[in-house]
Amino acid sequence: MATTTTQTRAGRAQRRAVPVTALQMGIVTGVLAVMAGAFFGVRPPEAYGVCMACHGRDLVNWTINLLAHTHLEVAQASLVYPVLTTVGVLLGAVLGASTSGEFRWQNPENPLKTFIYGVLVMNCALLAGGCSIRLLLRASSGEALGLIGFGGMAIGVAVGTSWLRWRASR
Amino acid sequence: MTVAIATLVIGVILGYLGQRSRMCFVGGIRDFILVRDVYLLKGMVAFGLTACLAFSLAGLIGLAPPRLFGISDVLTISLTIVGGAGVGFFSTLANGCPLRQHVLAAQGVKSSIGFLAGFFAGAVIFHAWVAPLLFRLLP
Repeated sequence: MATTTTQTRAGRAQRRAVPVTALQMGIVTGVLAVMAGAFFGVRPPEAYGVCMACHGRDLVNWTINLLAHTHLEVAQASLVYPVLTTVGVLLGAVLGASTSGEFRWQNPENPLKTFIYGVLVMNCALLAGGCSIRLLLRASSGEALGLIGFGGMAIGVAVGTSWLRWRASR
Repeated sequence: MTVAIATLVIGVILGYLGQRSRMCFVGGIRDFILVRDVYLLKGMVAFGLTACLAFSLAGLIGLAPPRLFGISDVLTISLTIVGGAGVGFFSTLANGCPLRQHVLAAQGVKSSIGFLAGFFAGAVIFHAWVAPLLFRLLP
């Protein structure tokens, strides 16, 4: 009986699931990222519409500054009120996962290992001035440094993929 | 206030679409190298082209200042290359770009929640220790 209920619930969720391709998502992200800077004042710095690393940094540092009266660096766009992209993405993804029945607790890797990866990715992203999304956004806005950073990222991904493949083939 | 509300709404839209489309800005290049799959790569290229077009349109009506390809000093360029390569390398090892990790964490993947914890701790670590150290070491 319990299995039937689960199956119907999953089936109902499957019917409600909206199919979205990566192509459509890319177009929407591009428009929204530029609109955020042009109409909603998410600047300076320029080309700051969407960035998971910088916006996460702003939110964390803004909160710590508020609570502990420190002076950690935040971008000029989020001096008064913080940017909430991080919170929004988490909420939106929870919405997407729950309406399509894809929410499931799982643990594919050691969380301590991914914790260290997280620290390293954030530090490298702040050094380069943007996560993978903002590097591409800066390149699109006509900034040479953004294009250089994106080239560096592509090299990093190629090296990382080769490393994973080499490790898997041993 | 506008900034906070606008980014929250944009975030919700991106989170929903990202969950439905499994979009990843690192996975595009990775999948192409590994199995010649262009599904995610198409999304990344579409993002770049759309943003390029939208920036030109916004520039035409005076909402985005034109940014000519300027020349930076060697140190900034090297730091950007090193940082970019680090983002690419470690994101590949962690199995997804920061956006994908946010989406996976919201889907209940515990290792991605660990990634996010490190991600936010990394912001404080960078501004409290790494950046001052770099300022002192680099010319």
